[in-house]
This record gives sequence, structure tokens and C-alpha cells, in this order.
Amino acid sequence: MKKLKFKRRVENEEMALQITSMADIFTILLVFLLKSYATGAVDVNPSTGTLLPEAQAGENSVQALKVEVARNAVLIEGQPVATLKEYRFEAADLKANGSSSALSQALERERQRQMLIAKANSDVKVDPKIIIVSDQRAPYVTVKSVLASAALNGYTDFKLAVVKGE
Amino acid sequence: MMVSGEGGKSNSQDFELNLASIIDCLTVLITFVLASASFLSIGLLDAGIAAAGAAPATDAAPPSVNVTVELGKDQAMIVKLGGKATSTTAIPAKAGAWDHEALVQNLSALKQKWPDLNAAVLTAGDAVEYRDVVKTMETMRKAVPAVLLGGF
Repeated sequence: MKKLKFKRRVENEEMALQITSMADIFTILLVFLLKSYATGAVDVNPSTGTLLPEAQAGENSVQALKVEVARNAVLIEGQPVATLKEYRFEAADLKANGSSSALSQALERERQRQMLIAKANSDVKVDPKIIIVSDQRAPYVTVKSVLASAALNGYTDFKLAVVKGE
Repeated sequence: MMVSGEGGKSNSQDFELNLASIIDCLTVLITFVLASASFLSIGLLDAGIAAAGAAPATDAAPPSVNVTVELGKDQAMIVKLGGKATSTTAIPAKAGAWDHEALVQNLSALKQKWPDLNAAVLTAGDAVEYRDVVKTMETMRKAVPAVLLGGF
């Protein structure tokens, strides 16, 4: 009986939430998140499952065509343009010089588009830069094919996207 | 004399900030930031023409030697020197891994002997993984300022 009375008294006590300290915590959390927010100069969003290699890289702001090598496809600006099988091009897709037919066609289209823009606007120049966003597990033979396809279409200034290490 | 805040309810300038709505805002903001945040910092490694610096002047003398590093099977590396001097140095695997220390030592010695050596070409076997290529590239940059990808 005594125990029951005690329980009722506890239940009747008002629970005052410390909202001020809660607001403090939330503000600190928000500041921390905004500070660590990746506002990198490089706008690269690898597709799900793609693991970039880790390396020490400088702070350089580059806007260029992005070619991604994922497990099952090669993507240009997020659009799949060539099929891969476990990071490898299909034999039928490869030319004698090592480049990929499908990728070369897609890169040629991009090049034509760039040239058309450059023709219409004198401020725009045809850019030889290309950003390679490749999965770290991809064999070099695939990367080599991508580089060969890019070089054949005038993209000779390769930039490799990496996760910045410590 | 009437002290501020003591003059009855109508004249009081004391008020309580409604923190509940502020917390609501902060919660929504934090959720948004967490959902859209990318905690990976992405950088770029130069591997093409620009890796060798600015475009060379037409009258610039070519370097005395050129160096090519080949990544082969079983984590073995070959350093090939061409030009005014030629040599081939094999760097075997060390404890089943790439011996990057030996590679840096080798390249540093070449750089000391040939100070105009500013670029090296890195190539790899078909089965070598991209992560090993990038790692070796990063290591080579300790000794040679510019590393270009080759083999295609």
C-alpha cells in the first residue's frame, strides 16, 4: 500500500524538459555538420557501389566531362554508354587499338557538342580535360581502354578522381 | 520607482523565447544536412599532358632520359631508363606487396643523376588493379614531380 502511494507521487511529478540545453546541443551539432560538409571544388558523385581509390591529391577546381567506370557499365555524366562485365569490356566492343567502340561513339558525340558550343560562343573553348572516376577494383586493361577512347577523341588531359587520404 | 518588469503584466518587457519552434527548425536542418552530406572529400590526380606542367616551349630541350615504370604480375615492378642512358631495373615484391620504398629510392637516385628528369610514365599489366596503379602513382610523385599514365 505504501509502495503504491509512492508510485502515484512519482507519476504526478511534472517532467520539465531542458529545452535551452537541447537547443544548445542542436546548434553545436548543426555547426559541426555544416563545417564538415563536403563542399569540394570537384563535383563528382560516383554511383552506388563504386569505390574510389585513396590518394593524396591537391585542391584543384576542375569542371570537365566525367567518365565513370563501374562494375557493369561505363557512364558519361551519369548516363550508361558502354556495357561492362565484371569491370571488363566485352571482346566484341574492343577495337584493335584497345579503345571501346561504344565509348568512342559517346565521347565523339560529346566532342561534337562541345565544338558546336565553342563555334557559337567564342568565350567557350574546346576542353581537353576529362575526369576519370574509376572503381578501385577495375583492372588496368579497362582503364587503359577508357583512356585510349578518350585520347582518340581529343581528351588528353586526364584527371583521376580519388578519395583524399590523410 | 518602478523597476522594469514589475509594473504588472501589461507593461512587462520580459518574455520567454519559444524554443520549441527553434528546435523544430534545427531538427529539420540537421536531418537535411545529414541526408545530403557527403563526408568523402574527392580530389584529382593529374595523369595526362597537364601532369608535366605547362605546355613545353617549342625550343625547350627534351629531357636527357625518360623513365617508364611497369607494374607486372606478382607485385613486381620494372624501371626502364631510356635516352642518353639505358638500363632496366627489376624491383621484386617485398613480403607479397609492392616494394614502393625501393621504387622511390630508385627514382630518387635517377633524379639525382639526371636533374632534368621531371616526368615518368607509369604503365601496368592488364590484370593489375586500378587502386595499385593510383597508389604507385602517388608514390612515384615523391621522387618525380609528374607521372603520366601510359601503355595505350
